[in-house]
Amino acid sequence: MGSYVLRRLLQSVVVIVGVTLVSFLALQAGGDPTYLFVSERASLEEIEATRRALGFDRPLHEQYLSFVGDLAKGDFGQSLSYRQPAMEIVLDALPATIELTLFAMIVALLLAIPLGVLAAINRGTGWDGSITTFSMLGQSIPSFWLGIMMILFFGLYLRIFPISGHVPFLTPLIAGDVGTAFGNLPRALFHLVLPGIAVGTYSLARNTRLVRSSLLEVLEADYVRTARSKGLPERRVLIHHALRNAWLPVVTIIGLEFGFLLGGVVVVETVFSYPGVGRLLFAAINQRDIPLVQAGVILMAGIFILLNLVVDLVYVRLDPRMKLAEGSG
Amino acid sequence: MTHRSVVTRSAATGLLVAVCLLTACAQRSEDTIVVGLSADITTFEPGMISSRDNANIAQHIFGTLFSLDPEGNHLPNLAHTLEISEDGTAYVYTLHEGLTCHDGEALTAEDVAYAFNRIADPQNRFTGNAPGFVFTSIGFQDAEALDDLRVQINIARKNPIAFGLITEIYVHCKDSYEQMTLDEAASSPIGSGSYRLASWTRGSEVVLEKVRDPGTFRRIAWRIIPEASTRTAELIAGNVDIITNVVPEQIEAIDASGRAEVRIVSGTRRMYLGFNLSEAHRQLPGGEAIQDPRVRRALQYAVDVPTICRQLLSVECERATGLVNPPNDNADLTPYPYDPDRAETLLDQAGWQRGDDGVRFSIRLQAGRGRYVNDVNVVLAITQYLEDVGLDVEMELLEWASVYTPLLRERSMGPLFFLGTGGGLWSPIYDMTDLAEVESGTNYTHWSDERWFSRWAELSEAKSEEETRAIIDEMLEVFYEDGPWLHLYFQPDFYGVSDRIVWEPRRDERVHVFDARLR
Repeated sequence: MGSYVLRRLLQSVVVIVGVTLVSFLALQAGGDPTYLFVSERASLEEIEATRRALGFDRPLHEQYLSFVGDLAKGDFGQSLSYRQPAMEIVLDALPATIELTLFAMIVALLLAIPLGVLAAINRGTGWDGSITTFSMLGQSIPSFWLGIMMILFFGLYLRIFPISGHVPFLTPLIAGDVGTAFGNLPRALFHLVLPGIAVGTYSLARNTRLVRSSLLEVLEADYVRTARSKGLPERRVLIHHALRNAWLPVVTIIGLEFGFLLGGVVVVETVFSYPGVGRLLFAAINQRDIPLVQAGVILMAGIFILLNLVVDLVYVRLDPRMKLAEGSG
Repeated sequence: MTHRSVVTRSAATGLLVAVCLLTACAQRSEDTIVVGLSADITTFEPGMISSRDNANIAQHIFGTLFSLDPEGNHLPNLAHTLEISEDGTAYVYTLHEGLTCHDGEALTAEDVAYAFNRIADPQNRFTGNAPGFVFTSIGFQDAEALDDLRVQINIARKNPIAFGLITEIYVHCKDSYEQMTLDEAASSPIGSGSYRLASWTRGSEVVLEKVRDPGTFRRIAWRIIPEASTRTAELIAGNVDIITNVVPEQIEAIDASGRAEVRIVSGTRRMYLGFNLSEAHRQLPGGEAIQDPRVRRALQYAVDVPTICRQLLSVECERATGLVNPPNDNADLTPYPYDPDRAETLLDQAGWQRGDDGVRFSIRLQAGRGRYVNDVNVVLAITQYLEDVGLDVEMELLEWASVYTPLLRERSMGPLFFLGTGGGLWSPIYDMTDLAEVESGTNYTHWSDERWFSRWAELSEAKSEEETRAIIDEMLEVFYEDGPWLHLYFQPDFYGVSDRIVWEPRRDERVHVFDARLR
């Protein structure tokens, strides 16, 4: 187990270096970022001085190697726009994104399981048709469009939920200010409802279909037929025999889901003016704030890699048939 | 009523009250005004501020020596008088007595000199508007305190617009800033203006609290709402009092809401189609044709600017006659009318008849994308108008920041290019300085007409306002007739304003809420 984890962590370093290289090159392909940091009327001399000051006058490989060298020392560099340590800025925004992602994930899972079960045990009925139609719609609707529609309906027309903004919960909690954190909690949850649904709808739809198909497969398995033939009540068959096994693929995706949702917050955070990592990255990309983008990308990649690892380990615990491939990784 | 229905009703009422308390039903405080901005704020470092949204907040935190009113008149602010040396290179400002910074430190001439010199200090590597544009434009040398109340700003040479540009420098106190790191200064400003920074949640909200007059509201909350439709929804819902950058498609929804309305002002940004007259561009298709002033004049008649304004910008506008904002422009000049027949006749007379394929000449039109209001559609419309009179236009829409801007800096876009450049209301000369020299970085057209460029020396030697005005008018007449711009419009700015407040937008893109008040 220990060597497996170590090997996976070493692999993740390679992945992160690859991610930084790709994002670095992608940002450079957009042209010289110097022009974003000079006045509209700046002279060529001023532009050149700014280019030097920002380090964009150096060859690309030198810029990248210098960045990786600093990275190895734990220095993510300074944000070009904020002139503050890039990782510090990203970490400031991370709690808001985690709140949103967790909320979306909880919504997606809490609803997906009962909906998927309902569709599976009522296969071919109106329930199944409705839920399947909802799932298809949920996977087809772009999250930003759904967000705007919800703003118009629930925020503007019904005036039930806030249209935009964020009330912090995790940030004061991390700072040890428990009173403020829990004092903020009701308002924080209210601010999370619309963006949370916008982020989570795709996952909800996908998971509903997954639970449905997984349960249908299990319900047709021999051991379930055996359980039924033994005269066990249908409820007991469903809960104790079918769902326990249908649960496995869902557990697998829970971890991955978090990573997937993290990636999905970028547009939704912008639509809802939600001050998280997604919006920060969106602005940083527009501003060609390379250190800030790199810090955000590395953090997101790190979280994703870690979640993958945890999922693999949990999966082995849950399914005794699975073993860690010590040799191949 | 059954016990169950009582419980149900109580629960429903409780839920409604909770919802109201939590969200939409909560009334906004009457001592707070909320402004929704479209772009994020990155710094409060006076030497680094460059975006208009950032400056809009900063100007409430930092005082300036003088300031500009909405009509472009200079008003005393931290200073009450100015004396300019005979040679025009020393500006001596006298400060009001008893000024302080937000931490209580007395604000003296030494602080003002420190603020100017600190912003200019190359060691600080500031790249904002103050060092990057103002100081280079005026040839800033240094600043020195003459006594407690008098500070002298030294510039390299006489400059008729230095006074106006100096109003853009944010004053801060020496002791507090000497104790701060650059990081601290960027996030925790200690200003000298009417409001102090109370809180800044990056990417979300900036809250200012009033410390002295002028200022009607005790608090100003600046909320960052990048998405246009979300800004509009917040305004209509009554959660925001003012929003900037309303998109034209949402004007009707806001006006019909009964809770807010859109105020449109003709901004100071000059929108035009430039003719690049450089030698390099002469070699390109169409480059030779536009060297002829008769061709440029003919094309003025080919574009229906009022219709572009009405259909694509949702405003009625009067076509510009040059590069100077009204009312400082030459009032005797009449905007070119839309007259495609005349355009065709003039093109024929200039020797560019239609060929067998109906084309007079081919030419490339380049434009940046997403920078100005509805810019892509405006460029498409202009292309169509030019094609209607026989030009074969190859339109290129380019990414603004990293593709079009470098072309601008090298003055190599075109031969036709679409652009908007910032102007002002406080001086016609400020608007004209884009073309102060043939090789000036902002003479994107490489225009070199002696009748324009030879007059700058006369302008700086003019002895009276009347003489200055006469020279300006003559120069503007040359620009109107034979200039390098196809005149379009001054870009309209769209603000959404809640019915709760009384506030008038300014033409110069500055959002001042000092004198906004409840209705």
